[in-house]
Amino acid sequence: MTVSVQLHPELRKWVEERLSRYPTRRSLLVPTLMQAQKYHDYASPGLMQAVAALLDVPESEVMSVASFYTLIAKHPVGRHIVQVCHNVSCYLRGCDEVIAQLEERLGCKVGETTEDGKFTLITVECLAACGSAPVMMVDEKLYENVTPEQIDRILAEAD
Amino acid sequence: MTELTKVVMRLDGVADAHRLDVYEANGGYSALRKALGEMKPQEVIDEVKASGLRGKGGAGFPAGLKWSFVPQDHPGPKYLACNADEGEPGTFKDRWIIENNPHEMIEGCIICAYAVGLSHIYVYCRGEFYEGKRKIEQAAKEAYAKGYLGENILGSGFSTHLTVHTGAGSYECGEETALLTSMEGGRGHPKIKPPFPASEGAWRKPTVINNVETLATVPAVITQGAQWHAGMGTEKSKGVKMVCVSGHVERPGIYEVEFGVPASGIINDLAGGVWKGRQLKGYFPGGSSTPVLPAEKADVLYDYESIAEAGSMLGSGALIAFDNETDVVRMAEVITRFYAWESCGKCTPCREGTRWMLQIYERILNGGGRMDDLELLLSICNNLEFKSFCPFGDAAVGVVRSTINLYRDEYEEYIREHKVYRRRFVPVKH
Repeated sequence: MTVSVQLHPELRKWVEERLSRYPTRRSLLVPTLMQAQKYHDYASPGLMQAVAALLDVPESEVMSVASFYTLIAKHPVGRHIVQVCHNVSCYLRGCDEVIAQLEERLGCKVGETTEDGKFTLITVECLAACGSAPVMMVDEKLYENVTPEQIDRILAEAD
Repeated sequence: MTELTKVVMRLDGVADAHRLDVYEANGGYSALRKALGEMKPQEVIDEVKASGLRGKGGAGFPAGLKWSFVPQDHPGPKYLACNADEGEPGTFKDRWIIENNPHEMIEGCIICAYAVGLSHIYVYCRGEFYEGKRKIEQAAKEAYAKGYLGENILGSGFSTHLTVHTGAGSYECGEETALLTSMEGGRGHPKIKPPFPASEGAWRKPTVINNVETLATVPAVITQGAQWHAGMGTEKSKGVKMVCVSGHVERPGIYEVEFGVPASGIINDLAGGVWKGRQLKGYFPGGSSTPVLPAEKADVLYDYESIAEAGSMLGSGALIAFDNETDVVRMAEVITRFYAWESCGKCTPCREGTRWMLQIYERILNGGGRMDDLELLLSICNNLEFKSFCPFGDAAVGVVRSTINLYRDEYEEYIREHKVYRRRFVPVKH
């Protein structure tokens, strides 16, 4: 059973302000699901149902679209998302050691959330900052030329 | 000695170049004034055509020609999609433009919109570019306030608008038709061509799609003229390219050069050569989608034709160098995993083929490879290439085929000796 969700008024306002810029309501689907995560924990079935109603898109299609994009969390995640690149340029400059260090310091594996619910650790594809590889992001902040020694300091910066 | 030729990067090092006042103080928006004030739309298209400017997102298609494909007499709205979904592994030039010089891109967008008669510009920006999206939004706000965007721009009677549209984490959405599908609110699936976007694109309206770097080059072409631009580079690859150098070099970074300089000059003169005093083993000339070239081919000239002749592609201009201590099999697995996980799943050869290749790589790295796995991989490559709606599948086979051909002995060593790659972490798809 889906638990219904009331969309945050700020999110509704954000959508209303942008509708006139597109020929169809549906065009705002991906941006809305991205923006929703600022106000809601994750794209829960209830949230997707509410977005479907708001944008006049069938619920099943909202779920289909949400499932396609990696930045739309379909399951509960930690308060901070740690994204670390595991693609070629970062691999060549030591991302494997950075990822191993992250797993050790967070006490969870790639794809998992820490026990205190603070961090979710995921590996991602190229973040388009290969000139300063290896790179990682904590929420919206990019960290460049990361070494395993810097991990404690980077994690401490998150609230 | 290979030298830089800064065109799009002309404001590199200028403080606060992302601000409108700084951009204007350095000649910003004079190209737009010139285009609107002195040139008819068709003259702008002709100028860009004559300049030889080619698309810098990967395909290298002539920009002016693409613009001319849009039907002038089409009733109703036409659109520009500025492709800021930079995701090709090894590429990070668009991020630089967006974060450091967003007005150059916006000015190019407005000039293109004027030339082709486009009523709305959508900048499709990859989801992870949080800072970049803020920078473009802010720059667009400044441009609206100054009358460079909106109704009746600079009193010319021409109107166009700009909207930043966010992606949400998908490599495939950088492919032009998948980008449009995503913008329309769908999964990032490509569409069959024809119809090409120029006749039937976003919301089935004529749409121009250009890469950030391409559009950011347009103001300089208008200001300095087609002849100036055509005088740089080679006969067929005219102009300049922001080359992103990453991997095992001393000074990774973006180096804007004229087409036709030697790749070795970019690696050695500009990027400081191979790191740690080691030797170059090989390099991807244009991103992970382009076949690897061996060190012996480092002297190839960096232009579309020369690199094609050497057996690879210039792609998005992402030169990834790797040294003689690199485990090529593991490197190929990293890239194959990327393609397997990012395949959008629409076309069977790509969806299945990339996954099969990944499974074989995992088998080899886990010590269970078979000698005929190499022929199997090559056979899958043949069944994957040119078999799908978009070029994703073609891109996925480049690294596999080229590394088996160039470094077969390393694959055979893994298989013969049941060598096991010691993983530091287990990748998980999410």
